[in-house]
Amino acid sequence: MKGLPSLFPPTFHTFFLPGGLLSHYRRHPLQLLALAAMIVIATMLWTGVNHLTSQARASLNQSEQAVAERQQVVRNDGRALAIDDFVALRLAGVCVMPWLEVTPETGSRLVGIDPLAAHCFGAGTGASQALDQPLDGKPFVDVYAAAGVSARESRLYLLTPEATQATDLPGGYSLKTFATSPDTGELGDSFLLNLEALGVLVLLITALLLRAVYLLGLAQRRASFVLLHRFGVSPEQVQRWLVLEILVLALVCVVPGVWLGRWLAAGLGGGFGQALDGLFDIPLYAGQGHGWITPVLVMLAVVVLACLGDLILLRFRGRLSLPVPVRAGLATALLVAGLVLAWLGPSLAWVFGAVALVFAGAGWLTPAAVAHLAYWCADRSQVPLARWRYRELAVLARQLTLPLVALQFALAMVLSVQALVTTFEDTFDRWLGQRLEAAYYIEVPAGADGRKAAEWLTSQQASIPGLQWHRVVRGQAQLANAGSLQVDVFAVSPVGSLMRAWALVEAADQPWETLASGEGGMINEQLARRQRLEVGDSLQLIVGDQPQAFSVLGVYPDYGRPVGEVLLNAETLPETFNIRFESISVSPGEPGIAPVTDALQRIWGVNALTVRDNGTIRELATGVFDQTFALTRAMTLLTLILAASALLMMGWVFFSTRAWYFRLLVVWGMSQREVADQLQRLALLLTGGIAVLALPLGIWLTWVLVHRINPLAFGWSLPMAVYPAFWLELCILSLAIGLSIAALMRRQLGSPAVAPASASALTGDER
Amino acid sequence: MNRRMGLLLGLLLFAGCSGDTGDEGFAGLAGLEQGAVSDTLYLQPGPGVRLSFPADFGPHPQHRIEWWYLTANLETAVGEPLGLQWTQFRQALEPRAASEPAPAATDWPLQAAWMAHGAVSWKGQHYFAEKLARGDMGSAGATAVPFKVWLDNWQLRGNADNDRWHLQAAGDGWSYDLTLSIEGAPVAHGEEGFSAKSASGEGSMYFSLVDIAITGEVTLDGEVLVVRGKGWFDREWSSQLLKTGQKGWDWFALHLDSGDKLMAFRLRDDSGSFLSGTWLPAEGDPVRLSSEELSLKELERRKDVPVRWQLSIPAYQVELQLNAPPGDYLNRGLYPYWESPVNVSGSHSGEGYMELTGYRTQ
Amino acid sequence: MTESLLAVRGLSKHFVSGNEPVPVIEKLSFTLGQGQSLALTGRSGSGKSTLLNLLCGLELADTGTIVMHGQVFEAGGTAVLRTAKAWSALRRQHIGVVFQDANLMPALSLLENVRFRAQLAGRDPANSEDWLTRLDIGELAHRYPDQVSGGQRQRAALAMVFAMEPALILADEPTGSLDRHTSDDVTRVLFDLQARHGCGLILATHDSELAAGCQQHLDLGHLNAI
Repeated sequence: MKGLPSLFPPTFHTFFLPGGLLSHYRRHPLQLLALAAMIVIATMLWTGVNHLTSQARASLNQSEQAVAERQQVVRNDGRALAIDDFVALRLAGVCVMPWLEVTPETGSRLVGIDPLAAHCFGAGTGASQALDQPLDGKPFVDVYAAAGVSARESRLYLLTPEATQATDLPGGYSLKTFATSPDTGELGDSFLLNLEALGVLVLLITALLLRAVYLLGLAQRRASFVLLHRFGVSPEQVQRWLVLEILVLALVCVVPGVWLGRWLAAGLGGGFGQALDGLFDIPLYAGQGHGWITPVLVMLAVVVLACLGDLILLRFRGRLSLPVPVRAGLATALLVAGLVLAWLGPSLAWVFGAVALVFAGAGWLTPAAVAHLAYWCADRSQVPLARWRYRELAVLARQLTLPLVALQFALAMVLSVQALVTTFEDTFDRWLGQRLEAAYYIEVPAGADGRKAAEWLTSQQASIPGLQWHRVVRGQAQLANAGSLQVDVFAVSPVGSLMRAWALVEAADQPWETLASGEGGMINEQLARRQRLEVGDSLQLIVGDQPQAFSVLGVYPDYGRPVGEVLLNAETLPETFNIRFESISVSPGEPGIAPVTDALQRIWGVNALTVRDNGTIRELATGVFDQTFALTRAMTLLTLILAASALLMMGWVFFSTRAWYFRLLVVWGMSQREVADQLQRLALLLTGGIAVLALPLGIWLTWVLVHRINPLAFGWSLPMAVYPAFWLELCILSLAIGLSIAALMRRQLGSPAVAPASASALTGDER
Repeated sequence: MNRRMGLLLGLLLFAGCSGDTGDEGFAGLAGLEQGAVSDTLYLQPGPGVRLSFPADFGPHPQHRIEWWYLTANLETAVGEPLGLQWTQFRQALEPRAASEPAPAATDWPLQAAWMAHGAVSWKGQHYFAEKLARGDMGSAGATAVPFKVWLDNWQLRGNADNDRWHLQAAGDGWSYDLTLSIEGAPVAHGEEGFSAKSASGEGSMYFSLVDIAITGEVTLDGEVLVVRGKGWFDREWSSQLLKTGQKGWDWFALHLDSGDKLMAFRLRDDSGSFLSGTWLPAEGDPVRLSSEELSLKELERRKDVPVRWQLSIPAYQVELQLNAPPGDYLNRGLYPYWESPVNVSGSHSGEGYMELTGYRTQ
Repeated sequence: MTESLLAVRGLSKHFVSGNEPVPVIEKLSFTLGQGQSLALTGRSGSGKSTLLNLLCGLELADTGTIVMHGQVFEAGGTAVLRTAKAWSALRRQHIGVVFQDANLMPALSLLENVRFRAQLAGRDPANSEDWLTRLDIGELAHRYPDQVSGGQRQRAALAMVFAMEPALILADEPTGSLDRHTSDDVTRVLFDLQARHGCGLILATHDSELAAGCQQHLDLGHLNAI
């Protein structure tokens, strides 16, 4: 053989092969463009979602940390803190930062802080982050500016880091928690976990779409491959080049995609950080999220897996090609197993696994089911055109499996995100309502007697129209039912109209009236879940050393409070009960809060009171979540749009390959208009069917997120709501996609079609 | 108000991007605010200004910047060398005449920011902490009589005769509690206390206490070390220390075994450098050293920081090699700079301290 | 002389290539009587397929007149929509078209295809299976087009055309993708059935043997000769 020149010298493969492979794209640049665009958009989308989620998580973590780190030093004698206290504590080596709250004569509340004093809070903490922000922005100013304001009211707090221990303090001082706003930690965490789960779903959808577009491209290049094979190029060599080609393409497209995704997230997410800043009173720098490496690597892996999964699994192909009934059986088994597992799964991992199973099963089953259904309808149809239409639908469902499944997933995701977001919105609203049931919230200063205030308020009841109030006492008790489990006591009196707005998870008959009469108590959802307590059960509590029995009148939602809590009538607390915290919730009605605070200051003999304006807090909190929810919706809608465009593209390509047969209808004497109508009905049947099939999946996903994942992750459940109007919107959207495909086809019908050359895949002869 | 906040923020934000601050020492602050508040309101030292004791141990609110600076070369009971630093800076955000009363603490005034640095260097380890406070509140300040300089619980206080001082400071994992015996009178540098920092006349008032015997305890990670040794205390104040274009300085204070002592510094700029120093012979009066009489040469760098030097004063047959011990002695505060003990060899042996600012260190 | 099924007068059609009009058919005239057959020959690009398209209204002529099944189509008329409707109705009920391949809907079985076509034409679909049997593919009735051979597909296409009881069959290289033996077989069936049912046939072909089986011959290579 030595003397014989090889038919193709080695240079042939190195030069000709890539050229031959690429020549396809030279002739069909749009296909390459479509694939590249799909990679870029998919990367952008996922990076955006991922970036936003991690950014939101970082921000929430910071806020939680910042809130958690807030503790303050107070005087044991209950007197207001002064500058001397600040100096004395600093000289004693205690890290304290002044927090001067000033309500000016005109204008809104100001908080003055001292960035120099805050230096000892250390890097990376809430307090020092405050310094990275412009202080002239509201509500922070330098304490010098705050002190200079002509103030109606001014109060100095001394904040100290979490690390400060009571033993670090000089005599006469003690530590106390300091909170100016509600801690949304658990609620936020839960939302983010769900958001992350949806991020994975976005990744799956984009992978499906990528695969669809890539396989379409491969099918269109089949002729080139056949030609190369005739030239003596082995399939292995072609595959190697295909791997290289997709790797290069992925690399070239993923990087700008990641850049765009970050840009998108930054553009959308900027406001998110701002809103958080507002809520937590501390400017929180929304973290940069992941760097570049993670999204680039993830997307590269997704592109390669989605496009070349077949090549990688080539050697198993024999085992993979299962007969149709076996495949259907397997898919059904996956689906059923997933559903059962999601129902009964004991831990988060199981439930996530179950979700994966259900999606795999549904994705596998849906197109087959649509095809099957179409066949069934066709066989029962006496009208030949209808029969033809159903048969075509079956072909479509099989040929467009990937983009259809992607659209189904996207629709399901949008549906569940919508339900989730709306549920969360609702929950936040009620949670805020529960936390901020009154318009104002006045702390009872150390050493003062809350009951005196109660007496005064009772005496005013008649003279101040619209006055609503109750006294709140917090402390702890032991639950004897559960081996002396420590529970928080939340006691109110009188049990008035402010409380009755609370939504209860479970309740006995007339629970509030019973509680008001001093009988029984309520427990939070956490305690009910952990101790398996129900309405009507008896609680054996040791309150202030005295055993007392209460019957459970109701279970109230706690939205993530991890500690068991008992709600009692404060009148039933014994004298020995150790009050840890006491406050008055007041909705002052017409005259405003000033007469109330003035009177309470007089009664308690203090110069200043800690008054929280719940309206402002509610406004801030609502602002934050509105924005986050809007962002989440925007992101999922983008996914849907991507899925829709992919289907549109694939549908168009598919219809083009089949144009000959649609024209055959014209040859057979149908008018172009009639044929176009048939195509429209076909496309609508397809996308409408997918929407209908997406509904149960989406509803199920919502159920899993709300009723399974959330309780498992956080020990509390959200109410699940259904929004049929939104389902209808989704269906209409899906039908609109169908109409667009049909419109594209109508244009194609006008031009003469080429007869399909062979019966290979994607040339129009599929049945 | 905004302007002052701006400065304060500048001061703090510089900490956030310390990569750039290597160029600009804290003394550079004196130049940072130029033109913002009329310079004429700040007193600028110059030739002819005289020192005045004990008043000059106290603060100079009409000057923009000043510091109280102690470095100490100590050794533990078993003879291991231990370096130690305590510094307190005052940075004026607004000048105040000596006659003007201090603002009321109740206003949370913002006329001055105080910063304190404490560091301990032992066995190649460097412990450092930084504290900040606003002035005129009572939590940070200085008085001449009785002599006291404090920021929170870091305190230096003198006795009635001001010849015995007590110094306490503590940071994360370290603390010290020292007694300082002050021997000898203050040494005025430069022209009777006016120390020129450039050929064009910028400079500061500068005096030192060079003979301080120190005893006490240093606690490092819970281990209590009994230490003794000698210290060097600098007082310096100015309103414009660095001339535009100057990038930083190299400063040395050396105790030679011969009993002689030496202070020398070099200010670097693009075109060259400005050297100055004071030779303190064991016997006799201190001698001013001009740029021509001193020579300073870098011999070796450790991560961009020159750690080995050659210092010569030909007129006194002084030819010294200065060596920082192994380790990283960067004070990583708002304005990172290098502060390390040095060993002296060459024509004389001895020990001392070296401060290097304005090197790109990160 | 039998009654004329189709009369063509002065038919012209051109395409535009670049900016130049390229004539494909110029001033063509001929007639075809009921039950008669006509072979269209000529090299590739001589306009055989274009003429067939003009004769069933899939394309419209530039000039000339076509009288088909009693209806008159004047080129250049303004009532394009009505013309299109009239052609559609003719194609649906009276003109059977057979292409070289792909005459069947791939998603329908052979029988379903035949029934579909018959029902479209308004004929009784009950005879569909019968037609398949007559074309010797009765046992393949429930197979799909991709499950049978090319010859069997063309037989099914013929069954479909005859099931609609056409007045005229337009066949464009109906055996072009078949081997000689199968081709002869299919051709024999075509002529046989055409003769038996008395419908007109216009057959475009390269095959001179096939062309010889027709009563008339029109060579588009020799312009407008008859």
